[in-house]
Amino acid sequence: MSGMHDCGGDAAAYALGALEPREADAFREHLRECAVCRDEVQALGAVVHALPMTPRQYEVPRGLRRKVLSQVREERRAPRRRSRLGLASPLRGVLAASVAAAAAVAVVLAGVGLSAGAPATVVRARTAGITGSAQLRVVRGHAELVVRHLTPPGRGRVYEVWLQSGTAAPVSASVLFTVDASGNADVGIPGGIRHVSAVLVTPEPLGGTAKPTHAPVIIAHLA
Amino acid sequence: MFNQRRNLRESADEDLMVLVRDGDARAFEVLFDRHAGPAFSLAYRMCGSRSRAEDVIQEAFLSLWRAGARYDPSRGSVRGWILSAVHNRAVDSFRRQAARPAGSLEEAGVIDRLASAELTEVEVERRADAERLRQALSELPDEQRKVVELSYFGGFTHQQISDMLSLPAGTVKGRMRLALTKLRLSLDEAGVIP
Ligand SMILES: [Zn+2]
Repeated sequence: MSGMHDCGGDAAAYALGALEPREADAFREHLRECAVCRDEVQALGAVVHALPMTPRQYEVPRGLRRKVLSQVREERRAPRRRSRLGLASPLRGVLAASVAAAAAVAVVLAGVGLSAGAPATVVRARTAGITGSAQLRVVRGHAELVVRHLTPPGRGRVYEVWLQSGTAAPVSASVLFTVDASGNADVGIPGGIRHVSAVLVTPEPLGGTAKPTHAPVIIAHLA
Repeated sequence: MFNQRRNLRESADEDLMVLVRDGDARAFEVLFDRHAGPAFSLAYRMCGSRSRAEDVIQEAFLSLWRAGARYDPSRGSVRGWILSAVHNRAVDSFRRQAARPAGSLEEAGVIDRLASAELTEVEVERRADAERLRQALSELPDEQRKVVELSYFGGFTHQQISDMLSLPAGTVKGRMRLALTKLRLSLDEAGVIP
């Protein structure tokens, strides 16, 4: 097959990403054994690599900058920092950067069936009006909200976490979060939840609000 | 740490990426300010609409924030990585929505053109190189420039382009090859590519 290949015929289209998927696969195979095409892809690829800078240059719209940076800061407030420990994804977001988190990791691991440390209590949460699942993992009075395959909060919105005690109005937990491309997030809830009777989540405008403006989409009742 | 923060604006992209991977929002901000302009300009050129370009940029930079760990310095510059993320996202969005701007994408004047006085030395250099390539592109015969633009900025395959332009199969590939070869020669002459 590769011997029949018209060398050079595909290199430019390949470098431009313009081959049909099946052709691209075949050409990649061919590249493994054809130095001529490899050289041509490299030479022409350098041109393609420079193309993204050729459009007329504009300033970033200010609103866009604000939107992206505020979302980043919000995600930073909700501790979903990546770890360097390389744990599999359901546990990865649990890891905060502090020393205290190291202890928390041990107990959450215990909660999912490994040994050592205090066990986590898992409270299944109800979702309303969105798809996906949510649960609260509680260890020694501290909680983490774990959501999976959750509908994203929507454009220009973010999920905000609320704590409710008895019949009092919900109070913001000062935690805003969004979900990753798979709809997942592990959200640490700061402070204790010993006197909290329910953890609620509402979609709110970026930046969050002082009072919920939307019916809860996640409700976790604590005993 | 204090020094590191104070010097963020002078830090190399690769060092900032390490901080971003560890969740440093200020390092992210510096990277955003350095690269979002060209990234937005590319997205705007591809999408032809400001709001779609903004969506692409937002997605691309948030994924950089969430998945910065995937950046591999051995495979190219941070600028190149960001621009190719933007390019891929724009092409994905065309293919997802089966819709994209047709024809020439000349920009409506709704966005501020960049004031070049604000550019750093590195950026001036980058843009001078880009200007040489832009010039070389504009000197290509129309039919060659068109296939490059449709494929790269429009995300069309050679097959789609031959259907669009009613050209026999193989002709589009041939034009792509001629175009890129000429561009490569003019970049070599200008010393843009060593
Ligand atoms: Zn070959």
